[in-house]
Parts: sequence; C-alpha cells; structure tokens
Amino acid sequence: MAPSRGMRQLQQASHKLLASGGRRGGHRGITSLAQTISNPIQSYISESNDPYLNLSIEHYLLQKSPPDSTILFLYTNRPCVVIGRNQNPWLEVNLGILKAGSSTPAREDGQPVIGNVDLVRRRSGGGTVFHDEGNVNWSVICPPADFTRDKHAEMVVRALRKLGIDRARVNERHDIVLDQGNRSGRSDPQDTHRTPYTVDDGAGPRPLKVSGSAYKLTRNRALHHGTCLLRSPNLVTIPQYLHSPAKPYLKARGVESVSSPVANIGLSNQAFQKQVQEEFARMYSGVPAANGVDQSLLSTPEISKGYDELRTLDWTYSQTPQFTLSSHPELDEDPQVLVHGRSDTSPVPWFHPKIPVIFKVQHGAIVDVESSTMSAQNLEVLSTLKDQKIQELEKLTYELEREGDENSTMIRPVANWLEAMLPIVDVALSKD
Amino acid sequence: MKHIVAKEVGSLLSRCTAPTRVSYASRHFKSSAIPRQQPRRQFHSTPALDVVKPYLLADIGEGITECQVIQWFVQPGARVEQFDPICEVQSDKASVEITSRFDGVIKKLYYEQDDMAKVGKPLVDIDIQSDISPEDEALLNDNDSKVPPLRPTPTGGEEAGLEVDRLDTKGAAGDAPPPPPPQTLPPKPETTSTPSEPKAPRTLGKHASLATPAVRHLTKELNIQIEDIEGTGKEGRVTKEDVQKYAAAQKETPTTTKSSTPAAPEPQAEDQVRPLTPIQKGMFKQMTRSLSIPHFLYTDNVDFTSLSSLRKRLNASKEKSQKLSALPFVVKAVSLALSKHPLLNSHLDTSNAEKPQMVVKAQHNIGIAIDSPSGLLVPVVKNVQSLSIEAISAEIGRLGALARSGKLTNADLSGASFTLSNIGSIGGTAVAPVIVSPQVAILGVGRARVVPAFGKDGELVKKEEAVFSWSADHRVVDGAAAARCAEDVRSYLENVESMLVQMK
Repeated sequence: MAPSRGMRQLQQASHKLLASGGRRGGHRGITSLAQTISNPIQSYISESNDPYLNLSIEHYLLQKSPPDSTILFLYTNRPCVVIGRNQNPWLEVNLGILKAGSSTPAREDGQPVIGNVDLVRRRSGGGTVFHDEGNVNWSVICPPADFTRDKHAEMVVRALRKLGIDRARVNERHDIVLDQGNRSGRSDPQDTHRTPYTVDDGAGPRPLKVSGSAYKLTRNRALHHGTCLLRSPNLVTIPQYLHSPAKPYLKARGVESVSSPVANIGLSNQAFQKQVQEEFARMYSGVPAANGVDQSLLSTPEISKGYDELRTLDWTYSQTPQFTLSSHPELDEDPQVLVHGRSDTSPVPWFHPKIPVIFKVQHGAIVDVESSTMSAQNLEVLSTLKDQKIQELEKLTYELEREGDENSTMIRPVANWLEAMLPIVDVALSKD
Repeated sequence: MKHIVAKEVGSLLSRCTAPTRVSYASRHFKSSAIPRQQPRRQFHSTPALDVVKPYLLADIGEGITECQVIQWFVQPGARVEQFDPICEVQSDKASVEITSRFDGVIKKLYYEQDDMAKVGKPLVDIDIQSDISPEDEALLNDNDSKVPPLRPTPTGGEEAGLEVDRLDTKGAAGDAPPPPPPQTLPPKPETTSTPSEPKAPRTLGKHASLATPAVRHLTKELNIQIEDIEGTGKEGRVTKEDVQKYAAAQKETPTTTKSSTPAAPEPQAEDQVRPLTPIQKGMFKQMTRSLSIPHFLYTDNVDFTSLSSLRKRLNASKEKSQKLSALPFVVKAVSLALSKHPLLNSHLDTSNAEKPQMVVKAQHNIGIAIDSPSGLLVPVVKNVQSLSIEAISAEIGRLGALARSGKLTNADLSGASFTLSNIGSIGGTAVAPVIVSPQVAILGVGRARVVPAFGKDGELVKKEEAVFSWSADHRVVDGAAAARCAEDVRSYLENVESMLVQMK
C-alpha cells in the first residue's frame, strides 16, 4: 500500500470504480459534494482514515452547507492524537514518543508502533484525544437555533442504549460515560442523563468516559462532534501519549484538557454507525442513505486547501497561545506553576540548563529570553533565538554551526534542550 | 436542557483586503485564492462622518462571561463587510466565530490574541459606513434613546451598548438641540420630541430615493427633517455632507432666536438607557418563566444562638480561611430535611402540558445565590447529601472565588434542584424569594439579629434570630409539606446535635 504515490492514481481508480457502478463499503460513494451539499438533510460516512482529510471534509460541510440544513458525518481515523483549536501540543502530548519512532514501519495488525501516530490540530475547541480504528467519530452540523450542547450527545446515547449499552448516559460536561455502579433500578429509560447504575454520592465507582465532545460555532452553523471508544486496542497506551513530560516546565494560557478514565464500549464500528444513522433518521425527516466519501473529495479546491493547511507545521504548532518555558519552574515567582509539580520519574536531560532561564513563546516563536542570573552577555547571545519559530530552531543552529559562528557552542546545548522540551513532529513524515 | 443562545455571532467580521494582510503574518484563515462568497459591495464615496461605535462581544450563552481570543481576522483600518469574520474565540469546549453585523472599517481592537475577552464588553470599534438595514437601525437606535440630542455621556458605560461616540466636532457640541425650523415643529424640550419618531417612517417612504439609510439614520440622530435639507448629491440626493452643513447652520440659530431655545443651557441629569447585561438578561428570562408559578410563602424565625456559639468554639482553632460561617450549616440542614421531604427537591416538568410530572431528584444540588460584581449568580454545590459541613464550606468558598473572578463554568451554574438565597449576608429580614423553575422550592435566609426574648424563668435573655423565608410551588407542594420541611430545618439548626445523628 503506497498511496503516497499520488492522489491522482487514487482518484482515477475511484472514478473508474464509480463508472463501473461498483459500490464501496456498502455506501453509495460520491467523488464530490456538489450534488448533495445543498440538501436540507445530509448523511455521510468516510471511507478514508486520514484524519486531516476527514477534518477537512467536516470543515467544508460546516462552511458550505445551507444555514438551515442538518448533516451527520461519521468517520474513523488511523492512530493519531488530536488537539483542540487553541491547545498547546507540548503541554498536552508526549511529542517525544510520537517522534521517536517515526521512521518505524507500521505493524501488520494495525497496532500503533511508537511514532506512527499523527499529530493533528482540529478546528473546534475542547481537549486532546487519541483516535484509532477502534474509535468512531460522529459529527452533526445544524442550525444554531436548534442547537443545544446535549442534543446530539443524547442521540448517540439513545443509539448505544438500543444496542444494549444501558450504562451509557450524557454527563454534565456533555460527554458520554458508562456508569459503573450497581443496578439500583431507579431511572427513567427516556432520561439520557441517568441510568439505573448511576451512583449519586461520590462514594461509588467513577463512571468511565467513552466519548468526548467539542464544538465549533459560526454565524449560522453549529458543529458538534465527538469520539466514541468502541474497541480500541490501545487503551493502555493512550495515557502515555497524553501526558507530556514538559508539563512542569510550561506555563500556558488556553484550554487545558480534563483528564478522565476511559473504557471501550465493546461494539463493532458497523453496528454503531448503523444505529447512529438510524437514530439520526428518527430525529429528522427525510434522511437519505449515507453517502460514502473519500480522498476523491480532494478534487474540491476548498477541501484540498483546508487539508494542506492542517498539515502545515505552522497550523499545528504556531497556533499555540502564548506560554513560557522555564528551566527551573520552582524558582519562578508565581507559585501557581508548582501546582503541576515536577514528576520525579521523568529524568532531566543532561543538557538541562544549569542557570535558570525562561523562554516566552508566542505565535509559535520565541519572543523573549529571560534570566535573573545569567550574564547580560550570554543573554545577548541567546537572544539570537528570538523571533525564531520553534520548528526553525534546529535549522538555525545548524547554520550557525556551519558558519563557524562563535556563539554556536553556547547556543547548541540550549537548542538541544529546547528540542527536548518542545519537540516538533514533522507532519509530512507521518502521512503514509 | 442547556441552550447556547444563537446570538453569539452578531459579531464583527472583517474581510481582509490585500493591503491590510501584510503585517498579520500567516494567520489568515482564508487565502486570497478562495473565491469570495459574497459579491463586494460598493462603499459610499462620501467622506466618512466618523460614526464609530464600540461593538460588544455578544452573549455566547451557557453563563460564560469571558473567552479567549484565538485569532483576529482583522486589524485596525481593515474594511469589513457584513458577515465577515472578525475573530475566533474559545470558551471551554466551544470555539466560536464572531462575525460583523455591519459594513464598515475597524478602528480599534480591544484585545490582543490570547487575551481573555469579556462578554458584554467592547470587542472592537467599528466605523459604520454603508447601508444599515432596518433591523440594524433599530439596534443602533435602541440604545440611543428614542430621544435625540441631549445625549447621554458618550462612552459612559460599556454597558450602554452600541453607543454613538460622536467624534465629529459638530456632533460633540450638538448636545444643544438644533431648533426645528419654525414652520414645521413648534419649539419644545428635547425629551418630548418623540413625535419625530413616528414621522420618520413616513419620511422614509416619501424620500427613500433622496438619501441612503446611513444618511437617514444620521438625520434621525440629529433630529433634522430630511425634507429641509438641500440635496447636492446625484439626482438631488441628500449626502452626509449636506446633513453636516445643515446641522452646523442650525446650531448657529439658537444664539439668535432666543425664543426657540426653551431650556437649552440648563445642564440636567440625563436618563441613561442601558440594555440588559448578560446576567440581567439571564435573570429576565428566568424570572419571566417564574411568573407563572403560584408562590406559597412560609416565613419562620430560627434561633441561631446555639449555632453561633458552636461556630465560635469551632472557629477558635481554625485558620481565617477555614472559618465556618452559618451558611454551610444551613445548607446541610436543608439537605437533611430534603432527604425526609424529597418532594421539595424536585423538578416540575411541564414540557407536556397534558401530562405534567414531577422528577424527584436524587442528588441534592443546592444553588447558592451569590452577589458578584457582575450581578446575581447562582453557583451550585453538588451532592450536598454526601458532603460534610466542612466540605460544603470549602466548596462554597471555591465557587465564591470563581464567581468574583468571573470564572464560573456552565457546569458550576447548572443542575440545581433547590436554591438557597443568602440575602442575609447583605441585610433584610423577611423576603419573598422567587422560585427558579423547574425547581419547586426556594429558601431565603435573612440576617441574623440579636433580639430580646424570655428565658425559662421569664428572665430577659439575648437571642440571635434569623428569618427563614420559604417559597414553594403551590401547584405541586401544599402548605403542610412545606411547613414540615421548614420545621425540620429549624429544629436541625436550633439543635445542631440532631444533625449529627442523621449524618451519613
């Protein structure tokens, strides 16, 4: 499988398939949204597992569909970590392990090998999640007048309950959880916020999260999308990816993820998808059979542009809100940083600065270097790094060394440390 | 059911034209190669009368009071068209695109990227330049009182909404009313010039071709009759310049025609017209719903003497921040009483008018009405039935701190099954609290006062008393049920030890 050989071949192949009247994956496949985008009710399912593509299609649907239309879109991604629009990847994700093995080939059984995991920044808000093929993403776009944060989470809960998952409910944060308590029988089956297993006092076992939600609201559209952990083989591995060793050293604005224990529901993707589509059809009238979409949609310019944008380092890293990186957070005046605490299990790299220094990063570039104890002269040297995007630091350092710049000997260890604290996983590499 | 109010996107949008993109690096969402969604409109070539208005960040619902600016799509000087995106903001799980209601030019950004923007406060200043639709006119005129000239202070309160900040020199001095020409209107004080309003629609109809909506809007503001103005524009149209000149000319007459300036020079306190703040709007909506509930009021005195002495003993050994007020005790007492009278901890579901039903809530989520800098907020202490008094106290402290700093989340503000209004922290004796639907009861606690009373042997003793005012929904709660619950609360608080034996 070498799809990177060219989109064109894929497009041609799919055109041929359509021309010959073949069905793909049981759904009627389309190569362009032009025919369906203006319909009042639309239903799509993706046959691609490229997260950048699926998000781009979703975004196109949000931008281009008529204001009064309602759309359901289901998609599944290959293993990837997806951060929210305004999050800090260095704070949320262990980028070190994303990058460490990025040259390792994929395993046959689809298990993510350390490194073969994409990093994606989506356009909606919310926290960081791990996607893989055991997780189905559902997305509903509707007019703002009809929109509530719970409406479609409740739809998914109804679908799950019809498939026998009676522990599922919507919680206060609009996530879907599985109650873990013992059956106590007190619950209205129509109440999607309560199950017979719901424990009211804090004493009972915590519910386990199976779906998280995020929203994007524009002038006349509301998008609500969420995950659904069905049969992820990587539940044990997920926490490793979502805990960043740089966290104690970073102080940031922006939305932080709220961590929850997760579980698999234990259904097949097909059963879940079908039931969600049915629930959607029950809620709205005139829902057509779902259209299958895939890479051939890249022939639409806006989708292709959005796709390319999502894959730039600039979008992925430089959209991060302002933050500071401090080599000695315990010395910082603001005690708030101690809340994170230093994890004693994560080793400090040998090239960790001995002298406390603080880097301020804005728009993905170093804008300030501060140190209360460093000499002015050395600080001057370090300020060479100012206005450099994090992804360009390595290149800059290399060039300085190549030119025999005398400051490069001082800058090199600092650049190494920055690289360890703020790794950059090249997006292009992970595109298979 | 939580609703995101869909007015979040009455916001500003700016279309980035080529010259304004330069210094904004790579953060544009749209690239120039993507075709425009709307045809570009013509802007007027008349010189801009600086009608610059601060544009407020609209209420995005869910009780959210501030959100982070993720990305600006405009910068000062940028031309915007209606519905162009101005910026994207982020609040917890939602990222929201704010779009412009008007065509115009952005004058000022109030925040930098990554700053926290406050809901209801100015987001940008925009110079509204071209056509203003009738709805927009209404919105603009909403806050400039139907009363022209004697204008309230220009940037008086940000809460004054879309206010005209009259930067033009004529406008600033234009507080003195231009006296209407003698043949049309008799001279009268400004506050009664509302009759000019009903005339406006007629003017619109008759002279629609003589001026654009922007100019008509201006004449309304200046209280000038458009028929009086000589149009020098195309086909005899009245332009902004014409209006300006006319207004200037009018201003000179007050000094000559004394009779037509009734009360001009007297400085008077002016009425301020304020739209509702987001919190007031929330209250308005909620209380309007509560209007339909027949309130049954029950008032009682609770003897706080023994509770106060207990608290004094307990607090003697505590840090200042850990000291217990009476409130957590009251909350716990209410919860214990609700366990015995679960009907008062219910929601009344009238969504099906044929079949109203009670949903008896298992959790005691007690909302505590707090007075915050921005107004009334009711954060909810969840699961009181399983919290100790100390835990309740800590939680109230936590929520109070969040309320004061404006950081309460939607989760903190929702899900209440019962409300407690601690108006006593400010003052008051007996109150008649308003039930927050869909709840069916509410308790208002007045201030504890020292009163004289008689002891066992008839001697005069000092007693500390607070008045507890209960309201219950008389459609589903009868007097006896409310009274019994109130009695239980009273006995718990007057004999705190009795709470001890009920605690889980």
